[in-house]
Amino acid sequence: MGNWYSNSNEQGIVVSTRIRLARNLSGIPFPSRMTQEQINGLKQKVRNAILESNTPFAKSLKFIEMSAVPKNEISAMVERHIISPEFAAKADNRAIILSDDESISIMIGEEDHIRIQVIKDGLKLEEAYDIAERIDTVLFDKLHFAFDSELGFLTECPTNLGTGLRASVMLHLPVCESAGEIQELGDTVGKIGFTVRGMYGEGSKSSAGLYQISNQVTLGISEKNAIDNLKIITTQLIEKERSAAALLDKVRLEDTVYRALGALKCCRILTTKEMMNLLSRIKLGINMGILDKEINAIKLLVEGQPYMLMKKYGEMSPEERDICRASFVREALINVPT
Amino acid sequence: MLCENCGKNTATTLVRTVVNGVVKEQRLCSKCAKGYTGLPHGGLANMLASMLGDITDTHFIGEEAKCPVCSASFSDIAKTGRVGCAECYKTFRSELLPYLKRVHGSTKHVGKVPNSAPLSVVPETENLESLRSQLSRLVSEERYEEAAVVRDKIRKLEGENNG
Ligand SMILES: [Zn+2]
Ligand SMILES: [Zn+2]
Repeated sequence: MGNWYSNSNEQGIVVSTRIRLARNLSGIPFPSRMTQEQINGLKQKVRNAILESNTPFAKSLKFIEMSAVPKNEISAMVERHIISPEFAAKADNRAIILSDDESISIMIGEEDHIRIQVIKDGLKLEEAYDIAERIDTVLFDKLHFAFDSELGFLTECPTNLGTGLRASVMLHLPVCESAGEIQELGDTVGKIGFTVRGMYGEGSKSSAGLYQISNQVTLGISEKNAIDNLKIITTQLIEKERSAAALLDKVRLEDTVYRALGALKCCRILTTKEMMNLLSRIKLGINMGILDKEINAIKLLVEGQPYMLMKKYGEMSPEERDICRASFVREALINVPT
Repeated sequence: MLCENCGKNTATTLVRTVVNGVVKEQRLCSKCAKGYTGLPHGGLANMLASMLGDITDTHFIGEEAKCPVCSASFSDIAKTGRVGCAECYKTFRSELLPYLKRVHGSTKHVGKVPNSAPLSVVPETENLESLRSQLSRLVSEERYEEAAVVRDKIRKLEGENNG
């Protein structure tokens, strides 16, 4: 058990898997046009439908009003991919249903009435979809979903309707990235209805080798086909990254990995960006068998994000945070031999 | 003012087309404007601009149809790229379909169908009144094949009522 980013042994090139289902109720406007009263009603309905169901997973779920969550914690939730940045931006009157291990999050009142998200470490598309699908069925039994026999599940943004499914995998592709192949990868998968983004969204151009691939098309393709296609793309990318990495000069690779380790073990000031880039090299070293598998680079990378640090060590200025991040990472790597 | 194309109905839509760099403006009735697939600026329109062949841009200048549930108009939807509610997909179906086709390459759901799906967009109560208004709408939109189906339903219902 544990968060998706804390299961280090499971992570290879595929860091995590995410499934999201967009659902809406019929008879009330989509969130952009809802009144406060309708939002409150929606939250209660979803809460009751889930928590009063006798399904085994209901016991691990907790209903949380976002207005009760401190601002920094909301940003930290975005950093560990539990909620979307869009959800966080207007979190005030929204609510979430969250599982103990945070692998299930049901966002209420985001762009759609309900967004069911399941996030897992490694490549676990079927497992994650299966959980999301079961939650969907539980909700469907109690609520009236907006469904159209021609157009499928109806969504606020027409780009999501049909299955309402967004399946993503986050991959660590540092070798492909340094070869400048990500742009081309984006163009290629774009032609077959998939998209590539950095770990923390579209804007992050250099993303420490971490990229999310997800399906764009949701109408005219079944959930199974979308997931199967994503799996095929993922398998090919793993192969591509592996074969490119195998061609790297061994000594040069070790040099890169150990220099990164040295920097992380000795630094006194560490920005988020530098940390991500250095940890990306550490992760490459682990994947290539140079460093010990017990080091969890992804866990450090997530816990070293600005709000995750403040969640642990309290409010800080950006300068204080860089100092705190340096000591946090140094401490975590203290027993790693150089 | 009257439609510049047919000269019969009130003009409700300003259609601006750019063909080979020449801007052409026409004030048309909703019927004549139907052929133009352009959307008002922004949102959905921007997203899809690159996919559209020639640039067509329409502005509503009169009363526009509104969704009975959320009161969104089609230009509201096009401007924001957000649909108002599930009912909008029924109200603006013919306008939305070409865009769904462009975005997804399909207009037919082939995924999960909930077992007891309460289809929000399935024809609700098929009473004579709603069928008659449906018929006149379809005829005015020149959707004759669909109109014929509705007309047959009306005849059947009228037969039942009389018998
Ligand atoms: Zn006319
Ligand atoms: Zn509506």
